[in-house]
Amino acid sequence: MNFKRWGIARCAVQLLMIALLASPLAGLAIFTGNLAAAELLGLPLADPLAFLQALLGGRVFVLSYLLSALLVVGFYFLLGGRTFCGWVCPVGLVTELADRLRRKLGTGTQTLPLTLNRWSLALVLLVVMATGVPLFELLSPIGIISRAIVFAALLPLLLVAAILLMELLVARRVWCRSLCPLGGFYSLLAAFSPLRIGFVAEQCTHCNDCLKVCPVEEVLQPSLELNHPQVVAGDCTRCMACLDACPAKALKISIGYQPVSRDVTDPLKGGR
Amino acid sequence: MCMDSDAKNTGISRRLFLKGSILTPLALALGSAAISAVYLRPAQARGFYLRPPGAIEEARFLAACVKCGKCAQACPYKSIVMAGGEAGVGIGTPHIVPRENPCYLCPDLPCVKACPSGALDKQLTEVEKVRMGTAVIVDREGCLSIRGLRCEVCYRQCPLIDKAITIENRHNIRTGEHTIMEPVIHKDKCVGCGICEKVCVREKPVIAVQQRVTEQKDFYEF
Repeated sequence: MNFKRWGIARCAVQLLMIALLASPLAGLAIFTGNLAAAELLGLPLADPLAFLQALLGGRVFVLSYLLSALLVVGFYFLLGGRTFCGWVCPVGLVTELADRLRRKLGTGTQTLPLTLNRWSLALVLLVVMATGVPLFELLSPIGIISRAIVFAALLPLLLVAAILLMELLVARRVWCRSLCPLGGFYSLLAAFSPLRIGFVAEQCTHCNDCLKVCPVEEVLQPSLELNHPQVVAGDCTRCMACLDACPAKALKISIGYQPVSRDVTDPLKGGR
Repeated sequence: MCMDSDAKNTGISRRLFLKGSILTPLALALGSAAISAVYLRPAQARGFYLRPPGAIEEARFLAACVKCGKCAQACPYKSIVMAGGEAGVGIGTPHIVPRENPCYLCPDLPCVKACPSGALDKQLTEVEKVRMGTAVIVDREGCLSIRGLRCEVCYRQCPLIDKAITIENRHNIRTGEHTIMEPVIHKDKCVGCGICEKVCVREKPVIAVQQRVTEQKDFYEF
């Protein structure tokens, strides 16, 4: 197995995020807040879904808050949308570690459909519009982990433990893949993002090593089988694990929008 | 042959469709209903949480607050603490436990400045206009001053001395020759900082910050 360049870079960024969250405890004045709203070196940043819930549920509008949410939306749009899930989110880091254990145990091989996170996003927005209750902010394991780090609020970590247990024993990475409404939000954004995984069909040896490491292999697989030049689906977290895994360098980063070639026979429809 | 395999395919995809599109949202809805049964009790049912200065009306505050904790990080006295799971729908929201650590009313209100979402209203700039709650003497029999002793600690420590708490003298009819120096709270001036609750000398404070009752005007328009 070759050197996991992207895997190491990604892990470094994930750990850096944890360090940033914890930095006020060490008396450093570079970062305050958490992933819902923060200030990094004086730059205000805001989770766009938290912004929407505050706007719809609390009926408050603060212009600077909107701008900081838009800044984050723009940033993740350019960098691939669900990059947040793969590179920044502390829940992603935790469930990834649990997934390594699950692979060793060989349990919990079930999966739920990826599109479910759009449903949970819709549910969150509907509930906050109808009742004013910010459902996701109440349950968000992202907030729970952040507050456990910053304020030592440990009891709500039980919810994170429940998620990990479910992922370990029943369904593989079910929270990040299918349930997280913020993941749903970023999937919708990622579908239009210019930063994508590109595929060079001529170099592919069909070893399927990429599919073994991909957390959302059902969107990678059709792209490979149909010889698409890019993985288009918004569910791709741009974790780049497939780039690390590919021995033939058939997968690469691809910037911009490449049209799907229509001359290739669709193997799913029984051609080839 | 071909039709056979097609039929087989449709069968599987229908089952998948049912599983994916009906059962899973149903499971999600059931799960969220179970969670909401615990979480979505009315805010009033969990008692009064003293919010940081400038907090908007509680029901809206619970949605407007994004639980980022910047107000707590900005508080120089570490008076603002973040609620844990026990607060139910208020999980992760900031509040003040005055008996442990009251609000010391920083003149520049750093907590309000730190709030990104408008849950703490930035229009609030003067500490005297803070209305977090109001002090109430909850146990008149327990109050040393009202019993005729010299205490008046709450009065002396009140940051709005002679405005929010005044001392009213009256004759002590029990002894017949002394004065009762009773601390009287003026709700129109009290900011609800909780310093009085913190400094009360009794083991269980006889003065405590309580919810400011706002007149529900909608119900009084005939």
